[in-house]
Amino acid sequence: MPDLDIEFTLEYPYTRTTGPVLGPFLTGLRDGRILGVRCGSRVLCPPLEYDPDTFATLDPDFVEVGPGGVVTGWTWVSSPTTKHPFDHPFAFALIRLDGADTPIAHAVDAGSPDAVSTGMRVVARYRGERVGAITDVYFVPEASAGPAQVIEPGTEPVRLTTHLIGLQISEPLQPARKRFALGLLDGKIIGQRSPATGKVYVPSRGYDHMARVEMTEADDVEIPALGAVSSFTVITPVRYYGQMETEPYIRASILLDGADSPIYGVDVRDTPVEAFRVGLRVRAVWRPVGERDVTGFDNRQGGNWEQVIERWEPTGEPDVDPARLQEYVF
Amino acid sequence: MSTHRTPNRDVAVIATSQTPSYRHFDGPEPVMIMRCVNDLLAETGLERKDLEFTIAGSCDYLSGLPFAFVSNIDGVGAWPPVYESHVEMDGAWALFEAWLRLQLGDIDVALVIGSGKSSPGRPREVFPLQTDPYVMAPLGLDPVSLAGIQARGLIEAGKGSERAFAEVVSRSRRDALANPNAQVAVDRSVDSLLAEPYFSSPLRLHDLPPISDGAAALILAAGDRARELTSHPVWIRGMDHRIESHHPGLRDLTTSVSTAAAAAGAGVQDGPVDVAELSVTYSHEELILRAALGLGDDVSVNPSGGPLAGHPIMATGLVRVIEVADRIMAGGAGRGVAHASSGPVLQQNLVCVLEGAA
Repeated sequence: MPDLDIEFTLEYPYTRTTGPVLGPFLTGLRDGRILGVRCGSRVLCPPLEYDPDTFATLDPDFVEVGPGGVVTGWTWVSSPTTKHPFDHPFAFALIRLDGADTPIAHAVDAGSPDAVSTGMRVVARYRGERVGAITDVYFVPEASAGPAQVIEPGTEPVRLTTHLIGLQISEPLQPARKRFALGLLDGKIIGQRSPATGKVYVPSRGYDHMARVEMTEADDVEIPALGAVSSFTVITPVRYYGQMETEPYIRASILLDGADSPIYGVDVRDTPVEAFRVGLRVRAVWRPVGERDVTGFDNRQGGNWEQVIERWEPTGEPDVDPARLQEYVF
Repeated sequence: MSTHRTPNRDVAVIATSQTPSYRHFDGPEPVMIMRCVNDLLAETGLERKDLEFTIAGSCDYLSGLPFAFVSNIDGVGAWPPVYESHVEMDGAWALFEAWLRLQLGDIDVALVIGSGKSSPGRPREVFPLQTDPYVMAPLGLDPVSLAGIQARGLIEAGKGSERAFAEVVSRSRRDALANPNAQVAVDRSVDSLLAEPYFSSPLRLHDLPPISDGAAALILAAGDRARELTSHPVWIRGMDHRIESHHPGLRDLTTSVSTAAAAAGAGVQDGPVDVAELSVTYSHEELILRAALGLGDDVSVNPSGGPLAGHPIMATGLVRVIEVADRIMAGGAGRGVAHASSGPVLQQNLVCVLEGAA
């Protein structure tokens, strides 16, 4: 049996404007300086656009702080995540930089928890490659810091910052979904008939969402790979992060014979847009057994049908009256 | 000092349901919700159409499924249409919104849900995304590490000790042996816990909650409608929630001023507290929360085992309300306090005071 565990990375690329306070702060980090902001008699670092007690807007008045400071709280990260600044154990600490009144949360590369204590002095170290981000800098124990770094400042102020977030997801296909995927490898489309309403759902979510009834393997039914187009759209690709498409293409919903829910997101590349229409009768042309791939199916409702079904060809039968398909658009 | 004001309208929890906490639930999130909703309808005799307002708390980032909150409605049934709402927060905040909604007086019955599947993702990598996006999130600054910093601060301020943390763990997971919904229930001595290595020092792995999937739901009803639907309504006497800065450096991490303010707003000190269910996600938080809520050593805290025994994120806080309500319904307690928390190191806190027949 093939491995049907799902592994994917959900990515969102964020681009943010930096504003009048964090802009200079991040520019400073790129250029090897740490800036705090005056707030009454205090200096805040990291700097804020507002007074944290009164929430009044601050007129930015920057003060260079650090590069040394005192640890006011810490923990030893024995098992770093893939998102941490180091792939080896390190300390996360609150550090009150010299000249600042509030501590900043940051990473201390100390080698061992025995080298870290509250009250110890640390000093900033800068990465070789700096982009104007909080990750441009980290801290080391002052006692073991090397010689002072020479930092070449950049030219333009940092007005934008990017942060690509990526969430690693791994889970097994859910039971009904797994039987459906295995069916596809076998050239069968498996749905489920609701014991409550008799409606046939394909692919099934494992339950009847209208009657709130769970379904089991005993409710599985095979559906013919034959049906009628119930809806479609022509997608003209626009550029965005992760977009692979360049040419217009059709995405269709198909109501399979005997089913009460359409399959959707079906990729149509070989029928001309002019000849494609709601009501058109189509049948699946399966990919050869060894070429079927269900890894595009996850626990969502859609999936990459084109990886198991090469194309949907018109059967030549008379069209189904589109009015009969109105309830099966999506 | 109590800043509590009596709500305009009496609103009661009339029925509750929760799934067990699962390390991995082998099915879709809506199924867990569906089991709770079907339970509640069977218990109350209400039909789907009688639920005039439904609201859920969940988080799409957890299972990595964009718009998961929409498919979660499958578990409730989308037909017939009703007032529907959602919070990207623990179900306890959904409860807060439902309670406010019933204060308007035009409807009487609401369904509140909290659900989450943490098992597909990596919570330590998901939750840095709720921190400051410029100066914290890019560091991957996770709630476990921040909890470690807070726990050490507590020790260095003389307000806690590793032994005190281990005592919370030992007691909670022993109490969980009597909770059929618990995921981690075990009788471990304090000394054996203290022999374990550190994970995020001074915290050990057992000071952290398990990774859980689960759902919880309850039905609220107002006034006479509540009395008509059950002989054991559990009245919400007060509820409040407050938030603190998202910069940990601007807070005294050894106290929880937001919990204390919410407790005053909810009227915790206006009567005896027979039972308290607190969102003690990390063991040391119990010490901070007991102090902030003004609970003496005689108050039973987390008899269910609390989040250390099962932590279905987005349901955890609502489960605290349910555990208190269940004990009052069963007659084992007269008045109780439920607490929910959101954000790292107890950044935002909700307090709810519940009471049986008055």
